[in-house]
Amino acid sequence: MSQLNYRTINIDVLDPDSSINFPMDTLLPATLPPPTTSSAAASVASEVRQLLRGGDPEGALRHVLDTAPLGGDDRAKEVHLAAVTEVLQGIRQGEMSRVLEGVCTGDGGAERADCLMKYLYKGMASPVSGAGGAQSPRKSVSPQGTGFSQIQGRNLGEGGGGQQMSVLLSWHEKLVELVGTGSIVRVMTDRRTV
Amino acid sequence: MLLLDYHNVLIHSLLTERFSGSTPVSIDQIVSDFDGVTFHLSTPESKTKILISIQVKCFRELVQYGAQQVLEREYGPYIVDPEPGYDFSVLIDLENLPAEQEAKDDLIMRLALMKRNAMAAPFERAFDEFAKLSEEASRYTTESAPQGVKEGGEVMAIHYREEEAMYIKASHDRVTVIFSTVFREETDRIFGKVFLQEFVDARRRVLTLQNAPQVLFRNDPPLELAGVPGLQNVNDGTLSYVTFVLFPRHLTPQRRYENISHIQIFRDYFHYHIKASKAYIHTRMRKRTADFLQVLNRARPENEERERKTASGRTFRVQG
Amino acid sequence: MSTSLRPYLQCVRSSLSAALAISNFASQTSERHNVPEIEAASSPELLLNPLVISRNYDERTFIEPSVNSVRVSLKVKQADEIEHILVHKFARFLTQRADAFLILRRKPVEGYDISFLITNFHTEAMLKHKIVDFVIEFMEEVDKEISEMKLFLNARARFVAESFLTPFD
Repeated sequence: MSQLNYRTINIDVLDPDSSINFPMDTLLPATLPPPTTSSAAASVASEVRQLLRGGDPEGALRHVLDTAPLGGDDRAKEVHLAAVTEVLQGIRQGEMSRVLEGVCTGDGGAERADCLMKYLYKGMASPVSGAGGAQSPRKSVSPQGTGFSQIQGRNLGEGGGGQQMSVLLSWHEKLVELVGTGSIVRVMTDRRTV
Repeated sequence: MLLLDYHNVLIHSLLTERFSGSTPVSIDQIVSDFDGVTFHLSTPESKTKILISIQVKCFRELVQYGAQQVLEREYGPYIVDPEPGYDFSVLIDLENLPAEQEAKDDLIMRLALMKRNAMAAPFERAFDEFAKLSEEASRYTTESAPQGVKEGGEVMAIHYREEEAMYIKASHDRVTVIFSTVFREETDRIFGKVFLQEFVDARRRVLTLQNAPQVLFRNDPPLELAGVPGLQNVNDGTLSYVTFVLFPRHLTPQRRYENISHIQIFRDYFHYHIKASKAYIHTRMRKRTADFLQVLNRARPENEERERKTASGRTFRVQG
Repeated sequence: MSTSLRPYLQCVRSSLSAALAISNFASQTSERHNVPEIEAASSPELLLNPLVISRNYDERTFIEPSVNSVRVSLKVKQADEIEHILVHKFARFLTQRADAFLILRRKPVEGYDISFLITNFHTEAMLKHKIVDFVIEFMEEVDKEISEMKLFLNARARFVAESFLTPFD
């Protein structure tokens, strides 16, 4: 214990009344849906996949957003994110606006819009899955290479995960057009994360 | 100024002035050149006798490769005993100069090229050796050539800087010159790599450069240097080896003088351009930073009260 | 401009506009202090959910909002070590002039190349949409500048090499 430097201890953490120990649970509303597990999320994912395959992208998106595991554990949230991403990627560029309009109107439409916005940001924040993610960002110029190739534009190739991100980015653009920046503010302030 | 001069400009201009017949004055000047070479110009005895001394870090190595002979050839009658602390000295008597202007100019240039001439010795030896070896080799077929001819001459090492050296090796069909160069800084290292890559590629890319020497670079000692003592094999990327392969066409007596001068200047030329690029990029960034500041300042609302003048000279305030 | 750059910048623009809804907020941990809560991080309830906007693996923007301050961090694309060194030098150059830049953070957030710290005092003194404009323009220009510098370096290297080798012949 003699090695411990008492000056480096953040004593505020040890004080239950300190502001740093603010009970974050109190910021969650009481109406939080019951906790779900990853297996439940997986079953939702398969339902959604069926809807998507059945040619009902709007229904699929609506369903996947309605069943967001706000109270679930990390694993469940991850599985659900994968389902949402799958739906978003499964909808063609031309259909986006129509689907969005359908999903974000009507009963609970605003909640679904906010939920979708949360997923868009979560999708961009998550480390890129697939082959692109593992690629090392720095390729060194190999000495004695074939040459001729040193001069090249920077924006020719998409880096890892560029494809997936551009889908999310265009959804984001459409969604902001439809529901405005308020939705982004709600993503930042809502403690019910997806 | 893209290519560097081979001679020392300061010495050149100083001697030109002295030689032009102006009143003799006493001189005591130390002049620095590339690669840590120092000159001392002084008039120790009388104002008309200029003593020029040169100090080269690797003079002992150069003497080993015949520098004394080269210098004697160039400066024969002017050589005096080296000034203490220097390696080689010549004494010029202003009252005893060649009469014709051309001969004078030639002498000035020769003196200004003293560093080049001192460093040229190993190159000249290598070029001579090449001539000898190629003649010998022409008498044999490739297989039957005796060991000495096939392998080529010994590697001559010239440690002309603190941590950098030059290696010269003659073979029967080429002369290989290898520079080892150190990059102190990460930026220099990467810039250097870009530059070197272009040196390597230039020959392949540009048709008119097909006949230029082949350039190679690597971070570990090349095979030619196997067995050379004193090579640090630290492969942390700070040390680069640049190899120039001079082909017979570069070694002809007509091209010889020019090419020796030119290859000597490589290291300085190379580093000079890296520094110049860095300087340019810095200026660019400075300018860009100023642009960014302007954009940011646009974000400030302009609500300061400004005084304005009417045509008649009265001032008034703009109402916000 | 590459096709995916526009939605990326658009997304940063709307996210940043939303995040810049900040107001004066005196510290609740120490009296008579008024510090950017995102830096102090002394009260978790004042920090909002951070947002990440990424164009791809190498190009990201990280927005950390709080009640009275927003921290924006950029990661600029670095495809090879030349770009890496150029980005690094440029970022250093800018941060050393952070005093003049007001909203520039002197040290980037870990994992990013350059960070801005925008507080309520900045949004009060300056026009909010212009600050957003600045960040967007900055992102565009940095990218452009790095490409140009890289092209310049290659072009110069090429020219220098050819000039050196020409006299040999």
